[in-house]
Amino acid sequence: MAILIKSCFVVVLGTLIGLALTFVSLEHGVGFGAVRSGPWIAWPKAGSPDIDPYARALIARSGSIPLGTGEGTMFMARDDSDGAPLDPHCDYLLKGPMPPARYWTVSVFSPNGDLIENQAKRYGFTSAEILRNADSPAEIALSSNAQPGNWLPTSPASPYAVVLRLYDSVLSATASSLDGAVLPKLIKGVCR
Amino acid sequence: MTSLRMTFLKPASPERASLKAAPFDIGWLNRFLAFLLWLTALFFVAGLVHIVSIFGLPELAQKDAFSRLSAFTGLTPPGQVSLLPAPLPGQEYAPFEDPALVQGVCLYDLDRGPLEFSAEIPSDELLTFSFRTRTGRVFYSMTDRAASHKKLDVIVLTAKQLESLEADDDGEELPQELRLTAPQKKGFVLINALVAFPSDRGNVEALIKAMTCETGTETQAP
Repeated sequence: MAILIKSCFVVVLGTLIGLALTFVSLEHGVGFGAVRSGPWIAWPKAGSPDIDPYARALIARSGSIPLGTGEGTMFMARDDSDGAPLDPHCDYLLKGPMPPARYWTVSVFSPNGDLIENQAKRYGFTSAEILRNADSPAEIALSSNAQPGNWLPTSPASPYAVVLRLYDSVLSATASSLDGAVLPKLIKGVCR
Repeated sequence: MTSLRMTFLKPASPERASLKAAPFDIGWLNRFLAFLLWLTALFFVAGLVHIVSIFGLPELAQKDAFSRLSAFTGLTPPGQVSLLPAPLPGQEYAPFEDPALVQGVCLYDLDRGPLEFSAEIPSDELLTFSFRTRTGRVFYSMTDRAASHKKLDVIVLTAKQLESLEADDDGEELPQELRLTAPQKKGFVLINALVAFPSDRGNVEALIKAMTCETGTETQAP
């Protein structure tokens, strides 16, 4: 009898621990396939048939549709280039060289992946529409206040993540090693 | 066999007795070993549940990509690509979708026959295509650069359907279309078109609407 009770206890507790592990790994984990470069994280295998089971479960749970490896690569930044989390009360400047790609886009999302409502109705930039100064790399100002140049509005009420997508890029094929990749910097500006 | 075991066990019993009579108590060791055994069982159960739930989640998830996207395809006439609504705050159909994209989707069920997908490719727009299973797993993806002569023709089929199609090939001409074998019968084709300038949106939407995708029209020649 004691053995039966102990067995039941082990099965119930084991199930709970197993489910808790699953929950925690999906809540905090980003799959084993994540590669980092500065503030940017990418999941190059998420869009290929050999996606790892954790990333698959994560995607199934969130309902997101990652880019296929042959389409392009997505990079996400939740921190600035100094490693501090992006503060919705601060301005940031996205600056610097973009990896070679036919097109790139930069957009801003809430942590859940929703677009952030703003008066300017601007949710992102494409490489085609960006205003550039001659001979200098693209610059995008992330701020909740209107800015001159390429202004990507944020909201002081909502934390956010910056998403950079490279379409038709040579990087997508070799993204398993990002070390040599040149990605833009996210530089903190004034805080309010 | 039994007799052999008996003889083997016999000398052990006096030894056991002597152990029992040992001055120190070994009860704690027994309890510790039993505890270790239960702990191992616990780890085993937890690990099993964890692995099963990780692998099972994509199959069980309520809002998998196919079911989410099927909400937008109801009004599309068969054979056409459904245009997904422009992403705006509060009406996103999937998290982290690029607001600069126009997306079209074509759901298929290969039980009804192979899927024929066809698209005219203009030279300047960026178009990307991904072929996915029900859960959104990509089994093939490409950009418009894969097109030849400004046209892209793809047939998605099961391994069995490919066999019968290859049996029909006369062997002299190479097939003009790209043939993809799908790992599962249900899935979808997702078309991304980049709106480089906001004013292009109308043109890009027309481009996606002009693409065709049809299942079950493949004539199974005798």
